[in-house]
Amino acid sequence: MMNSAFSMITDLIDNLAPNGPVRRLALAATASLLMVSAAQASTTALVGATVHPVSSDPIENATVLIRDGRIEAIGSDVDIPDDAERVELDGLHLYPGFIHPGTQLGITEIASVAGTVDTVEMGNINPAIRVEVAVNHDSELLPTSMAGGILSAHIVPGGGLIRGTSAVISLEGWSWEEMTLAAPVAMHIVYPPGAVDDEDNDDLKLINQTLDLARHWHQANAAANDGNGPAPARNDQLEALGGLLSGDVPLMLHANRYDVMEAALDWAQEQGFERIILSANADVQYLADRLAADDVPVILRDVYSLPTRRWEAYDMAFVAPAKLEAAGVKFAIADTGSGLQVANARNLPFQAGSAVGHGLSEDAALKSVTLWPAEIFGLGDELGSLEVGKRATLFAATGDPLEATSQIRQVWVDGQSVDLGRDRTRRLYERYKDRNANVQGR
Amino acid sequence: MRHWILAGLISGLAFTTAQADWTPDIEAWNSPQPEQPDAVLIRNATIWTATDKGILENHDLLIRNGRIDRIGSGLSAPRGAIEIDAEGHHVTPGIIDGHSHAAILGGVNEATRISTADVRIRDVIDSESINIYRQLAGGVTTINLLHGSANAIGGQMSVIKMRWGASPAELVFDAAPEGIKFALGENPKQSNWQASELRYPQTRHGVEQIIRDKFQQAADYRQAMDSFPSGRAARDRVPPRPNHELEAIAEILNSERDVHSHAYRADEMLALMRLAEQFDFVIKTFQHVLEGYKIAPRMAEHGAGGSTFIDWWAFKYEAIDGTGFNPALMHQSGVLTALHSDNPELARRMNLEAAKAVRYGGVDEHDALKMVTAWAADQLGVGDRIGRLAPGMDADLVIWTAHPLSTRALVDQTWVDGRRYFDREADQRMREKLEAERAELMARVLDSNGDNANGNDGDGQDSAPERRRVHSFATHLTGYRQSELDHDEFCIFHDH
Repeated sequence: MMNSAFSMITDLIDNLAPNGPVRRLALAATASLLMVSAAQASTTALVGATVHPVSSDPIENATVLIRDGRIEAIGSDVDIPDDAERVELDGLHLYPGFIHPGTQLGITEIASVAGTVDTVEMGNINPAIRVEVAVNHDSELLPTSMAGGILSAHIVPGGGLIRGTSAVISLEGWSWEEMTLAAPVAMHIVYPPGAVDDEDNDDLKLINQTLDLARHWHQANAAANDGNGPAPARNDQLEALGGLLSGDVPLMLHANRYDVMEAALDWAQEQGFERIILSANADVQYLADRLAADDVPVILRDVYSLPTRRWEAYDMAFVAPAKLEAAGVKFAIADTGSGLQVANARNLPFQAGSAVGHGLSEDAALKSVTLWPAEIFGLGDELGSLEVGKRATLFAATGDPLEATSQIRQVWVDGQSVDLGRDRTRRLYERYKDRNANVQGR
Repeated sequence: MRHWILAGLISGLAFTTAQADWTPDIEAWNSPQPEQPDAVLIRNATIWTATDKGILENHDLLIRNGRIDRIGSGLSAPRGAIEIDAEGHHVTPGIIDGHSHAAILGGVNEATRISTADVRIRDVIDSESINIYRQLAGGVTTINLLHGSANAIGGQMSVIKMRWGASPAELVFDAAPEGIKFALGENPKQSNWQASELRYPQTRHGVEQIIRDKFQQAADYRQAMDSFPSGRAARDRVPPRPNHELEAIAEILNSERDVHSHAYRADEMLALMRLAEQFDFVIKTFQHVLEGYKIAPRMAEHGAGGSTFIDWWAFKYEAIDGTGFNPALMHQSGVLTALHSDNPELARRMNLEAAKAVRYGGVDEHDALKMVTAWAADQLGVGDRIGRLAPGMDADLVIWTAHPLSTRALVDQTWVDGRRYFDREADQRMREKLEAERAELMARVLDSNGDNANGNDGDGQDSAPERRRVHSFATHLTGYRQSELDHDEFCIFHDH
């Protein structure tokens, strides 16, 4: 099992830019991850719950057998080894951990206190930014998110036009190196709204010039490597664009109006980028047919949003997921992922639940916060569903976790039980609950 | 039918139709008031009374002339009554949002003097805010319009009913007692903003001091006013100069004006309660009240309610100890507890905020609903008129397609004063009407056959005119008026 995980990750690393620091970091992360896995070698049997694999129908009174952090078996007739730790979950429901597909968790603490926020770098061209290196593994927001079932997240950089690369992290761990599951996941580019009807838009020119420079730099570097010329001067920013230009790293395009999205897609396709993920608000529903035809997956930002235009129907944003599903677009539901919303990443599943009220199928709702984000980020063999061989990253809830009335009772990340008492909001509850019951007035 | 509607629109005529065909408009000024039928009978519903009668399955509710007449099973319909078969549906009181800035013209904060007790929301109600219609679609029937939190003593609030299409004066819920917004903590002491000139205070103890000072001035003012003689004795004497600020604060001291105070931390709330007790009045509610759970027994003893966002936290330092368990803990200590939005989008799904009170701390589902209905009404002093389904109460109610705390539930109809202000079918008619109007206008613009203009919203070329209406706002939201996106910028800030 460990070997297959290792080869999966080394494959992923092999796809990285060959001469960059990114690859070295990914290797270091892999090494620490394997150390942890070895240290936690154990077998756990979660028994008695209704298991919701997401990739297949629910199984009542089933067992999930976990060995060395991975799912070894699932079903109603699983043999439980004698040495396995049994966890009784009668009446509860097991689901794969939710995956937040676009947030600034770990790089935001108190949004209004500048010293605790690392979300926006200055300048417009920052391709060499690697967001994962600033993830604070002891952020108070992480245990609270996990208590809400958010167990992995795609962490995205902010600010400028070319923003750098993102990472998918596990929210549980002792360092960002250990928590990083995949990096770089995508290169982030914001398409300038002003370029929609202005061919001379300065921002777009800057992006194009940067990409051209990077192409030339990599051409020169390749020639140098082949002994056909002098090596170009080192340039961290241009070098970092190599993965995007070679197609190894997908492009994540950000746009918030359908005409901007449309222009952005035209531009990205003209540039020759083949692996495109669109990060967009509810306006994306108006491009659903094209996105399905072009096979572009979508990070849908904020179902809980006012209609983009004042004259649009009140439920314009609520129906966006259903429209994408109807057209056959693969999508993951996100919130805005920044500012105020970072601390409430835990509310993500309710957006999927509300979308069901507005026409989304139950199946798609669950997948839009589990399996589909995993697949969009190339982690479909690791996360997003309860299947043999995948990471045992899951939670037990009292009922449907897309309902706000349901409670999440237990959480496991890579097979290890997470102490929900680390959730600051619960800790304060425990601290004051008994005290208040015994106190009258002052 | 469609042509007839179109004709009415194009000629700019207001028109009224029978109840069945009533169609709202996206513009309040063009939205006909729905009629108030003599009698409406809602049959076979699950009725959440928000009273000690509990949740009644398969019951009927009779509305007569805008008020709830009876709740029972097998009620007979009066002659001419409109009958609604609500089998499989749930009926709850209309949602009441005790903290809103969703319909205020010209700015939420009078961020100048530390006390602006003399300014009044009722002078600046935006009856045409699209938020009113949108929130009706989320089941909201009453909101409390408050000033922002820039000043320790903010301004006079206004409780309005969501009578879409009525004038500002007609929106005001005249049964509501007078109230005023206070604010404590980071915002009045300017931790995250700076007025053009440095302003006292810059600390929490300074905030407490300036409020105490204002109370003392107001007490002196009232005494001077009261002791000024009347009739002949007043001759040859100069009366005290009227002072609208101190007048409003004096009303607080006389328990004629309720204080609803923005606050996060326990210390500042303790200080304000102590101050109020020294001046012999009661703080009606603390707003946001994130640390209410730390002093819940003390709040209960004082009689202060707690109106909170259920789970917003950590967005500024004084919100670091916010917890979703706060409503459960306040409620368990006997604090009158309600949930509010403080945000025009969140206001559209307050039923799900109530659902979280079940999630965090296991509040009973019916009690959780009371936190956005009955108890919110009690905090605004209108619990004898709205927030509960019982004979004699205003017919402000919501018909839901499913369990009202479910994410899957939609609002099917929203009634205010026994008038159906939101109805999914009528909303659909409105969409068709707008689409027809748009097609007509497009046809005129293109001056060609109408077919070209009939495209859907999404397909590039067809939407050219819409594109031209897009402006480079800081946000992607388009076509809104400033008042519709206004918020208390010191409280819930937006991205970037």
